[in-house]
Amino acid sequence: MNAIVEFREVGKRYGEKNVISGLNLSIHEGEFFVMVGPSGCGKTTTLKMINALTQPSEGDVYFNGKRIKDYDIRRLRHRIGYVLQQIALFPTMTVKQNIELIPDILGWSKSERSRRSGELLEMVGLPPAKYAARYPNELSGGEQQRIGILRAIAAKPDVLLMDEPFSALDPISRNALQEMVADIHQRLGTTIVFVTHNMNEAQRLASRIAVMQGGRLQQLGTPEELQSQPANEFVRSFFQSETIDYGKISQLTDLLPLSRDDMPELEADAAIADLFPLLGSHPRVRIRGVGEIDGSRVFDYLHSRQR
Amino acid sequence: MNLILQTLLERKTELLDATLEHLLISLLSLVCAVAIAVPLAVWFSGRRKQAETVLQFTGVLQTIPSLAMLGLLIPFVGIGTPPALIALTLYALLPIFQNTYLGFSEIHPSIKEAATAFGLSRWQKLMRVELPLALPAMISGIRTAAVLIIGTATLAALVGAGGLGKIILLGIDRNNTALTVIGAAASALLAVGVSGLVYWLQRKKAAGRALSVAALLVALLLGAQWWSSQGSSKQVVIAGKLGSEPDILINMYKLLIEADNPEINVVLKPNFGKTSFLFNALNSGEVDIYPEFTGTVLESLVKLPDAEKNRKFNPQQTYLLAKKLLDEQYQMVFLAPMKYQNTYALALPQAYARQHQVATLSDLAKVKDQIRAGFTLEFIDRQDGYKGLSETHRIPLKHLASIEPTLRYTALEDGRVDLVDAYSTDAEIRRYKLTLLKDDLQLFPPYQGAPLMKAKFAEQHPQVAASLNRLAGKISEEEMSEMNDKVKNGGEAPAKVAADYLNAHQLLNKKDAP
Repeated sequence: MNAIVEFREVGKRYGEKNVISGLNLSIHEGEFFVMVGPSGCGKTTTLKMINALTQPSEGDVYFNGKRIKDYDIRRLRHRIGYVLQQIALFPTMTVKQNIELIPDILGWSKSERSRRSGELLEMVGLPPAKYAARYPNELSGGEQQRIGILRAIAAKPDVLLMDEPFSALDPISRNALQEMVADIHQRLGTTIVFVTHNMNEAQRLASRIAVMQGGRLQQLGTPEELQSQPANEFVRSFFQSETIDYGKISQLTDLLPLSRDDMPELEADAAIADLFPLLGSHPRVRIRGVGEIDGSRVFDYLHSRQR
Repeated sequence: MNLILQTLLERKTELLDATLEHLLISLLSLVCAVAIAVPLAVWFSGRRKQAETVLQFTGVLQTIPSLAMLGLLIPFVGIGTPPALIALTLYALLPIFQNTYLGFSEIHPSIKEAATAFGLSRWQKLMRVELPLALPAMISGIRTAAVLIIGTATLAALVGAGGLGKIILLGIDRNNTALTVIGAAASALLAVGVSGLVYWLQRKKAAGRALSVAALLVALLLGAQWWSSQGSSKQVVIAGKLGSEPDILINMYKLLIEADNPEINVVLKPNFGKTSFLFNALNSGEVDIYPEFTGTVLESLVKLPDAEKNRKFNPQQTYLLAKKLLDEQYQMVFLAPMKYQNTYALALPQAYARQHQVATLSDLAKVKDQIRAGFTLEFIDRQDGYKGLSETHRIPLKHLASIEPTLRYTALEDGRVDLVDAYSTDAEIRRYKLTLLKDDLQLFPPYQGAPLMKAKFAEQHPQVAASLNRLAGKISEEEMSEMNDKVKNGGEAPAKVAADYLNAHQLLNKKDAP
């Protein structure tokens, strides 16, 4: 197996804090590699070292056997697709322009670009006649992230990086998109490096899974290996707790009445499960930047999800 | 309404010129401000702390009153278009910088991260991603700036940069409300129009870009052409202070010079500003000739030798001394003066004069605690004005207000003041039935008008001086006052009044000398 990306003794510090330490990791060409772990485990930082959005404080990351810092950084990035959690489509460009941006910069001819964007839109079930001229704000969240993925693969990159791409989506869109990504992987054979905090998602998609915690790699293996032979207590418990994933708080916020008084706070992208201990002692919890959530409505929601 | 329409028709070329001038100076300033503020804002968009400092600095610029800003710039860049251009540009910096900066800093970090991760260069990121996103905010800043500039540009007339302000000032000076309304309305319409245009250009993306580039080129071209025409050597620039009398006089100068020298093109800059503006303009070569008064020269322009201070001169002595000192101190030539005296005088309603038995300056002592005086700032500050009256002659007036020259007769008519400073040839003295106080204190020095120019100019253009000398010893006070009345209240054009006088006195016929 050819290692397309390799981490050797990589560490990352922000000031005094070690975010990643002693990381050794090989990502094989053509595999669907998933990094999973709780918030702050260092998985996104690791991902962003591959396209040089962050630089390691120690050790080196290799791309096709050559150190990333020895590459012309822009040329390297042209070969690496990137899908963000915030989707981040360019709002002033149409769907077509978003998809064709990188081919355009790489100097593809107009007809080549047009054929490529048309074929990609067809592939994910968004007819170009209907979608090509739309602007991102005219699309649903799920449709936006489809375009986000097409934009990332339009120039046929060697590697596709995906940073929690579906965590802001509703469960139905998420399901559909997981299928779409699995399908793309099968069809194109592109190496995919995928970050998620959701063990279900990891198990569903991955060829291999890297479980991270506290900036260290806990275990690396196929989904089956991890399930049958967890390397330590953390991996085992992570598997169990993650088997029930309720999604994110931000999914609740548009269906719940929100009010204001003194109460504990959570971030909108925290896991719904994080709400439970707080709702045990308080009737409501404030979601930073969004509003407040009433405990009884949370249970209503979870109950409806179960059916 | 009829009056406005009529005025509009009568003055349409003048108005069109002023509007174009106004538009040009505004657009040039706007272009300069955009060229400075936008790159700055882009550069500072990632540097919050420094950006705050720049914002505060441009904010401070904004708080300087426009008039003061123009005044402060004069010592550095002279008068005319440059100070107006600089002041207007400085005013436009804040709205453009602030809005552009906000537009750029409000772009979500994830968008910038995406652009970086796709391997876009700095320039590609700026042009393809960030600029289009910041554009609406930037455009709204530019629109605010455009409205601000076009409004403030009316003040440019005060430093001789022309524009619609000239029309407004003229309207106030001539007591012609229609003209003032037209000037103000044109300026307001222009502001709305330009703001709308900028908005439209932004909406019509492709057409807008092409059009704005074209407009920019045209504006720059026109500006360059206009700029170069400013300093053309074949033409003689004659300016006059604000008012009908200088306006009539410079028209006479033009007619006289062009009748004798068809090859010379005389450009007139009427209502150019106050004494110091004009004198500076003459000194710096922006203006070649302007009519000045002998008394003003001694009082405000030259340094009097100690021996001559506090002496009283007759008109002839005044002229000779002024001529000598101008030559010595500024290398300027002061041609022979005309006949009439346009001296300072104090005027009050006939009824008030009769009731309080005030006929001379010394009689003012009787009413010094009750009479309400409205004097111009210039008069208040002059030794041969109120300073002399209150200090040398010990007649301080208890109720004294400073008042704009063009507004004092209105204030008098409205009964808000009883006493104003005037010039002895003012048209209003007859019109409002005013009494002039006799100068029994010899407070006011003789004031005779004559063309003033640089010695170098006189040497290079001896024929011009010869033509202007035909006016020496001509025009009586009555004739001047009558001509002023025709322009100010009769609505006649200064050029026509000037031509009528010259024709009536056969001054234009150059074959008159045998």
